[in-house]
Amino acid sequence: MNRFWTWRWPIALAVLAALLLGASGCASGPVRATSWTGLTVVGDVLYAADLTQIQALNAADADSLWAFPEDPEEDGRGTFYVTPAVDEDHVIAASQMPPAGFLGQPRNVVWALDRDTGSLLWHFDDAASQYVEGGAIGGGVFVIGNSDGNVYALDVESGDLKWTFETGHRVWATPLIVSDTVYVGSMDRHLYALDLADGRVRWDFPTQGAFAGTPALRNGMLYVGAFDNRLYAIDAETGTEVWRFESGNWFWGGPAVYDDIVYAADVEGNVYALDADTGEEIWHRGLDTPVRAGLTLSEDGSRLFVSGQGGALYALETARRGADSWRPVESEGQALSTPAVNESIVYEALIYGQHRILALYVENGGEVWAYPNVVEE
Amino acid sequence: MFDFLAYPMANLILLLYNLLGQSTIAAISALTLLINLLILPLTLSQQRSARKMQEFQPELEKLQKKYANNKEKLAQEQMKLYKEAGINPMGGCLPLLIQMPIWFGLIGAIRYAIPSTPLELFQFSHHIYKWLPGVVGLVPLQSTFLGMDLGQPPSPAQWWSYSLPVLVLVTSWLQQKLLTPATTGDSQSQSAAMNRQMQIMMPLMFMFFTLQYAVGLSIYFVLSSVIRIVQYYLIQNGRSGEKVDGRARSKGQA
Repeated sequence: MNRFWTWRWPIALAVLAALLLGASGCASGPVRATSWTGLTVVGDVLYAADLTQIQALNAADADSLWAFPEDPEEDGRGTFYVTPAVDEDHVIAASQMPPAGFLGQPRNVVWALDRDTGSLLWHFDDAASQYVEGGAIGGGVFVIGNSDGNVYALDVESGDLKWTFETGHRVWATPLIVSDTVYVGSMDRHLYALDLADGRVRWDFPTQGAFAGTPALRNGMLYVGAFDNRLYAIDAETGTEVWRFESGNWFWGGPAVYDDIVYAADVEGNVYALDADTGEEIWHRGLDTPVRAGLTLSEDGSRLFVSGQGGALYALETARRGADSWRPVESEGQALSTPAVNESIVYEALIYGQHRILALYVENGGEVWAYPNVVEE
Repeated sequence: MFDFLAYPMANLILLLYNLLGQSTIAAISALTLLINLLILPLTLSQQRSARKMQEFQPELEKLQKKYANNKEKLAQEQMKLYKEAGINPMGGCLPLLIQMPIWFGLIGAIRYAIPSTPLELFQFSHHIYKWLPGVVGLVPLQSTFLGMDLGQPPSPAQWWSYSLPVLVLVTSWLQQKLLTPATTGDSQSQSAAMNRQMQIMMPLMFMFFTLQYAVGLSIYFVLSSVIRIVQYYLIQNGRSGEKVDGRARSKGQA
């Protein structure tokens, strides 16, 4: 007992250090993802944030067209999560580079790449914190929100900073650019309409909950959900509320609109179809999984694709009150980002799973390909 | 691992945030006070134990000299002394061990209430107690205090945020200095050397960890240390005149 008494403090210290190290992740194995990876499909090419790289894949068969960086082992550019933004000439994404040294800080970098070759055009690293969702391109400007509370607008050709707009909290939502206006929600519980040219506030819409999803636009009306369990319809010109719909939990992912119907899912997995003019519920369906991701519609609006946290991809028939179009496709891992879709294929991004991207036929949910293609031995 | 503590604590932060004018710093401070009230019996026992050890230090030193060549006998005599004096040799480190889960819970709670990564926020969205009044829509809490982001570790971009880990160092050093039993007599003894080492190592370690975690955690450490220091002086003042101070007594005997 005497020995223990003499050594009680060093023992306590050692136990404390071990536990704190464990809790801090210093003693853990491979780094786990802290966010989800995003996909964008344009024509025949799928652009994917693939953790250590941005990948341009042939959308039909997942053949690699280019990757940035080519060799992440040799030329690491950090971890890529955010959905790439794509225009005619550019692919713009962001990464977080690990800190250098004990007191170093991670670098948060926007990378603009040549859309055809993947070669680096410019980069921007002024933001102080993490980029969570991707940016939007419009009118020659790339606009992206950051966890440091700022919205950054960069010249798409040069990467020069055109303006910043400071909000009161983190900005985790992808902005929506329509003509000369940027619509962006912030965790400060405001939805802002900013002038694309100079970042001046045209209007702001305060609520009781944070905004983390991208608004959808139809006939001059914005539809956006918030963490106050409400989905709002807002006049895009004036910022006045037209109607609101209340659910039982947060709306995180952005809604989808087709014809006169708005589709949205809350994080408990309740999918709603609402009259776009009045906000009245047309139907709703509860899925057996939490839903973080935004919703995606097939090109003809007949199917609504929903990624469940547990990895399942649902295809709901919009004309049959959300009945399954085909049996949900279960996958290993978590599906937290908005599915991407083209004419015939729907793409789902996964984290923590064997595959990071799954391509399925829109018609029947049959697998087209899985990436990476893991061969069982 | 400590989510079973982190979720209730995060919800308590939400409730306090709502009750205290939607101020995150007020919510964390109030939670610190509540936690310290909860573990008050333990910290009092730690302080009493330290005080008694201080008082019996001369006797312990005598035993160490007397049985310098017989470790087994020394241990027996020391245990006998502890028993007679009603000292629990574990009394000093037990509160520290018991507080560990609270720290881990608090680290998680701050991470959930003021999340810096979206996965943490999404995870917490399923563990908010909706029956608590006014919690809908509160998350993520307002994270800025004096220009610092309470949900992020100190960073060069907010260079003044490094002042909090420094404050953690200073206050925990002061706390250690006051609460660690003073050693007398042979200042080169192993026990004395250990205590001196611990007075430096523990605060340094706390500072190290608060450099890695959200700034909000530093607020907890600083306030907790201040509470213990105040507690110490209140106890000292309360007992002044009752007993001779251990240090004075041992000096008198030296």
